[in-house]
Amino acid sequence: EKADPQKTAFLLRKAWTLYSVTPLYGFRRARLRDYARLLGAFIAAEKQKGLAVEVGVELDIKVALSSLADIRGSELDQAALLVQLSSRSRGSSRNSEDKPVWWGWFCSVFGDELSENVPEHFTCLPLFLSHGAESYTALVGSWFQKTFDCCFRRLAISPLNLSWMAAMWAGCKLDRAASAVELVFSVPRLAQPLDISYAIHPEDAKALWDTVQKTPGEITQEEVDVFMDCLYAHFHRHFKIHLSAAKLVKVSTAIASAHCDGIVKILHSQYLPGVLKLLTELAISQIQ
Amino acid sequence: MDETVAEYIRRTVLKIPRDEIKMMLQKWGFLSEAQLQTLNFHQIKDNISQEVVQLCEENSADIKQAAVLDIIYNHIYQNKRMWSVYQMKKSGEELEYFDITDFKKKFKRRLRSALKNVTITFKEYEDNAIWIRVAWGTPHKKPNQYKPSYVVYHSQTPYVFISSSVLKSTLPLLCQALIVASNYHDIRDMELRSHSLNSLKDIVFKRYSQNFQTCPPKPLQGGNVEPENADIRIVEENRSEKERIHRLNQEVFGSGPQPKLEFAQYRLETMFKSDPKMDVLDKKEPFRCLVKFSSPHLLESLKFLAPAGMADAPLSPLLTCIPHKARNYFKIREKKGLYPESFVSP
Repeated sequence: EKADPQKTAFLLRKAWTLYSVTPLYGFRRARLRDYARLLGAFIAAEKQKGLAVEVGVELDIKVALSSLADIRGSELDQAALLVQLSSRSRGSSRNSEDKPVWWGWFCSVFGDELSENVPEHFTCLPLFLSHGAESYTALVGSWFQKTFDCCFRRLAISPLNLSWMAAMWAGCKLDRAASAVELVFSVPRLAQPLDISYAIHPEDAKALWDTVQKTPGEITQEEVDVFMDCLYAHFHRHFKIHLSAAKLVKVSTAIASAHCDGIVKILHSQYLPGVLKLLTELAISQIQ
Repeated sequence: MDETVAEYIRRTVLKIPRDEIKMMLQKWGFLSEAQLQTLNFHQIKDNISQEVVQLCEENSADIKQAAVLDIIYNHIYQNKRMWSVYQMKKSGEELEYFDITDFKKKFKRRLRSALKNVTITFKEYEDNAIWIRVAWGTPHKKPNQYKPSYVVYHSQTPYVFISSSVLKSTLPLLCQALIVASNYHDIRDMELRSHSLNSLKDIVFKRYSQNFQTCPPKPLQGGNVEPENADIRIVEENRSEKERIHRLNQEVFGSGPQPKLEFAQYRLETMFKSDPKMDVLDKKEPFRCLVKFSSPHLLESLKFLAPAGMADAPLSPLLTCIPHKARNYFKIREKKGLYPESFVSP
């Protein structure tokens, strides 16, 4: 499923904070305009209460809700839902252009495991990604929680899942000058903290993965383990350090980067569906 | 007083933490004690710096004096800058008597012949360190005082410590002027960088605690307390392993504090070797990697890797050689010949 590159361009090269979201009760696609109005009113009311998000200039926040029809995996998936907050400087008649200040989108890419079993009136969009001030995320999140009786939780990414991403993305076909496959480790509990960045030339990382992967299109846990063990062994040969005992906190490749705190950046539109499918899986495991 | 000089002095004073302004102005010595008495150091910094500028106006300060204040600030806050170490080479063996006046004259002459618009300032400190500040301009523009280069030269040594301007083209000019002024014939980048200027000096002047201390092994300090275990044999084995690691650490690192470096970078161009049973990559070309270690105090953190169980003891020579090789940027290639497991760093 290829998403229209123009519509999804805004998704690329932004750092998205990840959440899992339980199914929304009573959500209706036809009412997007109403929801936008209600959310806008909610935000304005919260600001009046003194929970101002912007210091200084008075800003009106405009809310827009739209569907991203192209972002889904199978027919069972709901189309993605985008929430965009824009600011318009109050009283500035000359330049009344809206400036986007926050994005949040819900999606499900091959989230069949969840959608298959959900009762009527529930909409499954288990993965939520936000970009922009944390205060806006909190406002939007609490409105959705109140309105649709759902629950947002930050989605952390374990070292195990990060190594999956490293293996998967290292194996992707590279067309242009690709960036290195970088693994960042943190060594906890030392008197002086130590960070280790281990960056492998993308061609060499891919060459290694290609000899490890037995069936194209399929990846097994065993293959990921072998790939990582090879990298750990090469490192140990030089530095006598057991990287496997350190904490893998970030993986960065030409395709995408992911941080254990649940922050991802997608760099290649071609691989957007693949990355979203993996993240949807993670979100669903956190919900269940 | 020139407007730009006034602004520069104002901004320099603003950088200084409020309780240190008086001390720094005294070190500067440009304002009289009487003038300093008139300053109210208990108001907000904005006001203090305005008052300082007014006093400088009274004394007709020019850029030369302002530059000295900047050196004083950077000397005290030297660790805010990133320093690189360079080593100069002499062609002959003659030990020449170092004449500071001659040095300054030749340095200024060399720079000015290449670039008309430069501000050059010198300040000497007690430990034979000469601090040089150079602000760079172009044939048509006055020097940019906000992006200067700083050089620290210990005249009794071939070492210079440079905190480069972000204007990259200025570095070759700076190096040229240094070797001409100091009667050396070449200069090389030692690939040794850190924010801690003193630690860099410790490394090149060999002032840190080195290998093979002869003091007796100390009893184990701090760290994990062994749980009481009924099986005495287990405790004994573990303890002897811990002692072995401790002893090896002592041999490598010594028992004193390590020089403070923040990172080490290794460009690996070695072969990927694996167990043939694993049936993985078997290329004839190098497996190219870039490894970077970062820490607020790298050598101290490396010291504790083996005791923490994260690394083998002895630690790899690639890491332990950092202080005595006086570098923290390395390119590692495979060593050909009898010992394929060892590495060579050109």
